[in-house]
Amino acid sequence: MKHYLDVYKEFISTNFSVSLSFRTSFTLLVLMDIFFYLSTLLTIEFIFQHISSLGPWNKEQLMFFISFMLVIDNLHMVILSESFWVLSHQIKTGDIDFILLKPIHSIFAIFFRYPRPSSILNTFLTLGVLFFYGSKLSLDVMSWILLPFLVLMSFSLLAILEIIISTSMFWMQEGLGINFLRMQMQQLSRWPDYIYSKMARKALLISFPILLVGSAPVHFLLDHSEWEYLIGVLLANVIFFIVMVTLWKMALIRYESASS
Amino acid sequence: MTWNIQKWLQTILISWSNFTTYRLNFFLQVIGPGLVFFFIKYNLWSAIYGGNNTIVLGGYTFRSMIQYHGWSMIVLLLCQGMTANNLSEDIRMGRISNYLIYPMNFWEFHTAAFIAFEFLQLFICAVTIGLIGFTSLLGPIHFEVLINAFCYCIFVSIFWFAIQYLTGIIAFWLEETWTLRVIFSIISGFLSGAIIPLELFPTKLVEVLSYTPFPYLTYYPVKMFMGEVGFFPKGYLILGVWLAVIIIINKIVWRKGIKMYTAAGM
Repeated sequence: MKHYLDVYKEFISTNFSVSLSFRTSFTLLVLMDIFFYLSTLLTIEFIFQHISSLGPWNKEQLMFFISFMLVIDNLHMVILSESFWVLSHQIKTGDIDFILLKPIHSIFAIFFRYPRPSSILNTFLTLGVLFFYGSKLSLDVMSWILLPFLVLMSFSLLAILEIIISTSMFWMQEGLGINFLRMQMQQLSRWPDYIYSKMARKALLISFPILLVGSAPVHFLLDHSEWEYLIGVLLANVIFFIVMVTLWKMALIRYESASS
Repeated sequence: MTWNIQKWLQTILISWSNFTTYRLNFFLQVIGPGLVFFFIKYNLWSAIYGGNNTIVLGGYTFRSMIQYHGWSMIVLLLCQGMTANNLSEDIRMGRISNYLIYPMNFWEFHTAAFIAFEFLQLFICAVTIGLIGFTSLLGPIHFEVLINAFCYCIFVSIFWFAIQYLTGIIAFWLEETWTLRVIFSIISGFLSGAIIPLELFPTKLVEVLSYTPFPYLTYYPVKMFMGEVGFFPKGYLILGVWLAVIIIINKIVWRKGIKMYTAAGM
């Protein structure tokens, strides 16, 4: 574990140096995230000027859900996002050869290699928005204590599901499109599960549980009697972690270096 | 002259074949996002209206809201190309040196690729309209309305191409230009009415927006497809002025950028 932490420290430090060398790009990345957060929050704000509730949730509850998803999105931007885009290129050029030779697990070396330091600045912003709407809802002490764990659990589920999607790049000649599929999955998770039709909801909660990422923890935080959602996220993390590792092994067997 | 047309035609054909080589990739990159976006919006508005067609929000019943978003999907498919995405990489990796000795210059090559992409998009949109036109999703479709809206959309797509071209050639100075493209698409996605119709926005904001290009990129083309706006000289005029400004900026940026280009992969 210490070995992995040391390696990760080096990843962060290298990426800090790189991103600070290109200061305009660094600033634009920060701005890009801020525009995204603003447009997401304002969309809900404008919709709620015409309605009083969306399904079982009122404006504050939905805003809390949205801000929870913004925190997950920010974590994703900081830790993983960049690596997915690099992966399709690495598969095409055969750069994965060098990663496979390293004495660390290839999933770690590939998906945690490019943390994005610029997005760390926005972490405070997203956390602030989450705390703001959390306090508007007067969440109880247990909810506040559980909140960080639920954020991490949701983020881990999102990461696992996205890595599963990305393994399909090994079976394709041009894997770039897979990143767009992955982003569409993120889009689906950014709205509460109850807006989807019965069949879509079932598929996206059980077969490929992308809706569990945000909806499950928020349902539980808003109403502790909905504990089955929590069990759902935990189980999904375990089951899909096993699926991810199995698929990753198959993908590496399929990998044919630069010619693939 | 014949040689010139041949040159353009061949480049268009090559670009067409480049786009369609990896078909699944093309589907996931270009068509998939529009479909998922529509799927989410359909579900969202279904949940908001609760299937009740008598509720009216911002002048929209459930049916007209879905029609709005159905046409918005077609407009996004038709107008927002991705041909200029590789432009910045061409500059950064020093690949534009090739264009400097080709009998076709940089903007001509990318414009030809854009034309190929537009033909492809027109075909995809025609098929999509043909397929979902049988349902009530898009409402009644009239030939003259379609032609009018298609013509305007082609104008909008030229504007998008000019913007993407500009964000691409900024690569003479910037390491990563995709952020600029994403920033513009986030802002325009929101302010153009692609996410929610402008009737749901505060009135004062809509007034201010009417001087910007944003409402003319999605909201008005959608209204044209819905038959609520006919021939639209105001849209052509305002977007035309913005287009002219962007073309001038493009020329200045290119002239300044090419002077500092070292062909070494900057």
